[in-house]
Formats: sequence, C-alpha cells, structure tokens
Amino acid sequence: MRCTGDIEVRDLEEVAINIDPIQAGGRLTADAMKAIIAYGDGYSVCDNCRKPFRLDHIKKPPLDAFHRDLARFVGMDEARVMPGARRGFQAVADTYVEKGAPVLLTALSHYTEFLAIEAAGGIPREIPKDAKNIITADSAASRIEEVTREFGRPPALLFIDHFDYQFGNEHQVREIARAARAYDVKVMYNGAYTVGILPVDGKELGVDFVVGSGHKSMASPAPSGLLATTKEHAQEIFRTTRAKGDLTGREFGVKEVELLGCTLMGATIMGMMASFPYVRERVNRWQEELANGRIVVDALRSIEGTTILSEYPRKHTLTRVDTRNSFDRVAETHKKRGYFFTSALLEKGIGGVIPGATRVWKFNTYGLTRQQAEYLASVFTGIARENGIPVT
Amino acid sequence: MSRRAVDAVFQGLFTLTDIRVVLRRTAPLHELSEDDRKAVLKSLADLRQQIGILEEELLR
Repeated sequence: MRCTGDIEVRDLEEVAINIDPIQAGGRLTADAMKAIIAYGDGYSVCDNCRKPFRLDHIKKPPLDAFHRDLARFVGMDEARVMPGARRGFQAVADTYVEKGAPVLLTALSHYTEFLAIEAAGGIPREIPKDAKNIITADSAASRIEEVTREFGRPPALLFIDHFDYQFGNEHQVREIARAARAYDVKVMYNGAYTVGILPVDGKELGVDFVVGSGHKSMASPAPSGLLATTKEHAQEIFRTTRAKGDLTGREFGVKEVELLGCTLMGATIMGMMASFPYVRERVNRWQEELANGRIVVDALRSIEGTTILSEYPRKHTLTRVDTRNSFDRVAETHKKRGYFFTSALLEKGIGGVIPGATRVWKFNTYGLTRQQAEYLASVFTGIARENGIPVT
Repeated sequence: MSRRAVDAVFQGLFTLTDIRVVLRRTAPLHELSEDDRKAVLKSLADLRQQIGILEEELLR
C-alpha cells in the first residue's frame, strides 16, 4: 500500500512488534496522531502568535503552559523545545565552550555530543568505562583532574548519559554531578533514554542542564526534544538577541540566539504536547516496563550460548545481547545464512532487528503490553528450538 | 461552509486513529480482548455516523 507515488505506507507498528532499540519510546500516542492530523501544515501553531512573537509565549494552542509543564516535569526552572536532543547539546556547548576548551564526555557517549563539542571548538576528552561498562564517579573525578592538568584549566562542561545507547546501562549520574560540582564543572545530563520513560528530576540529580529527546522517549514525532535548566543558567543559554541591522536598524525582539528564534512550529510540538499528559503518567509505570523486559531477557538467557552484554539484572528496557554462540552458529549452515534469524522473526511478526544480525545486537521492549512481551519471549525460544538450540 | 462536514472529517479520522492504535497494541496477532472488541464496535458506529453526516452535508 502506498501513501502516494513512491511513498509506501509505514505499517511496521500495526503489523509487527517493533523492538528497534531507538524507536520504542518514540511511538506516538493516539492523541499525538490526532494532533498531527490537525496540525500537519507548516507553521500551524502560529495562527495566534502575538507579541512578543515567540513559540513559548503562544497561548492558543497553550504552548506557554506546555513549556512550564516541561520544566516542572524534569525538575528544572525553565525549558524550551528543541529539534532533537542533539540541538540541546549544541546549544549548551555553544554557550559554554570556548575554542580550545576541554570538555568531558564518556566512553559511551553518543556521537552527537562529540559533534556538538567539535562545532563549538572544544576538545573532547573521554571518561573511561569500567569492566562492567559503567561510568563511575571515581573515574569522572580522576579524569577531571587529569584534564585540568593537561589544559591548565578545568573542563568547560561534563556530558553524562544517564543510560547509554550502547548497553542501556545506568551510570552514576548523581555521584558524578557531585564530583563535578566539587571541581566547579557544569554538568549536561543526556536524558535521551530517560526523559519521558522514567522519572527524572534534574535538580535532585544535581545537574545544570537536562536534555531529552521527544522522538526517542516522549512519544513524539522527529525531530523533537527539550532543553531545561536552572534560573541561573537560563539567563545565559536562553539569552535573547542583541543583533541589529547596520543598514536597516532592525532588531529582533526576544528571539533566543541558541534556538535561532522559534524551534518546533507545527506538527512536532503539537505531537509532543498531545502525548505529554500520557508521557507524564507513564514514567510512573517504569517498573512494569522493566518487568516486561525481564520476561524477554530471561527467555534469551534460557537459550544456550546466549549472553546478555548489558548490566544484569536489567535497569532499562534497551538491552545488548550476544548470540554468537547460539543463533550465529545456526547461521553458519542455514540456507539463508545470517538472514535466517531476522527472517524467522519477521515471519512471526517481530520487526526492528537489523537484517542479518545474529552476532551482537540490541533490542528494546519499551511500550509492549504484557501479552506482547510474552509472545516475543516465546518467539525467541521457539526459533531456538526449531533450529536445534537447547533451551533450559 | 459546512461546519458539520469539517467536524465529521476530523472526527472520522480521529476515530480511525483509535482503531489504528488497537491494531498496534494487539500486533502481530490482532487477537482482540472483549474490551478491545467493545471499543472497536463503538468506533465503527461513530465512523458510520460521521460518514452519514458527510453524505448529508456534501452530497445533498
């Protein structure tokens, strides 16, 4: 079926259980879909934009209240919607990183954090992970000292992902923030895999900036996200323009420099806002999500030769698994070779695993119903049994 | 202008969206629980009503 011309309908979510590691938390709510139907046209939220002509001041639809709600939601004073978490990283780096300044991130940081630092002219330095793929506060403190010695100044910023994208492991955010404060280093909390998924309180964690991803974890269309901070830092990061045209004398009011004025002017913010009441509630059901995830992880662990590479017991629904000694062994002699596994999954209505993956791969069970989690678990063990792999 | 027709189009699309979400929640087997069946029946009735309004408003 096609939407039009060469554009096929995307019906993966309707016909299959999608366990793609980056897509689970961004699946839309019915309310978001409805808002997008009504607000799909370009600058659709601008019908009632009045002075001072800025997105977070629009009252109809109530984007002003939504911004306040977002800040409260992550325990900070001020928030802005951003075109993805990466633009939040960029705004923070642009504001606080001078050319040649060192910036700390981690051995598990997302590439967009590196790019944000690079764009600002900063020099990235990584905090190593430990043997269990965890970023610890001790390691962060040591690195701050090393970098300070190397550059003759402390890092301008420290980026820390609460849960990383590679393993879905939890890192010592609160303790790292405490260590960073002791060295007067500002902390940028990457909540791409937490904000909208589980409760996050930036002030309670002791961080300076909270970045979240709408399309990754807030049931929102891409690109969307948020950047939130304290009153103190809001003056800096959300500073308004002072530019003036030298010929025309034009000035640009309250437009915020790092945001290039308004950010999400249509379907993206409306989808995000429509999902928000649901998202605000669903973070309180995180334990149920983990329980569903455990059903699937335990099923995989019961397949001989299969290893969970993420920390265990799991603290997140995104999990990295090693099947080199189970499904990859089958692939060696199967007529479909490495494609046998994803092909078998698709036949049983499971999508989102990279085609051909039989070695090390990731999946995310977030948002599945209990029945879907049990079905998914039975599919994994079923494929193992069908291919002669013992299941205990 | 037909306000009724405009509203019926949006209501119909919203109702179809509710059915779409049932498909998602029950994928891949689409075995509906009793509550799901009731919800879908209600949605279909609403959809028929919206189609009726559109016929009245646009094809009279």
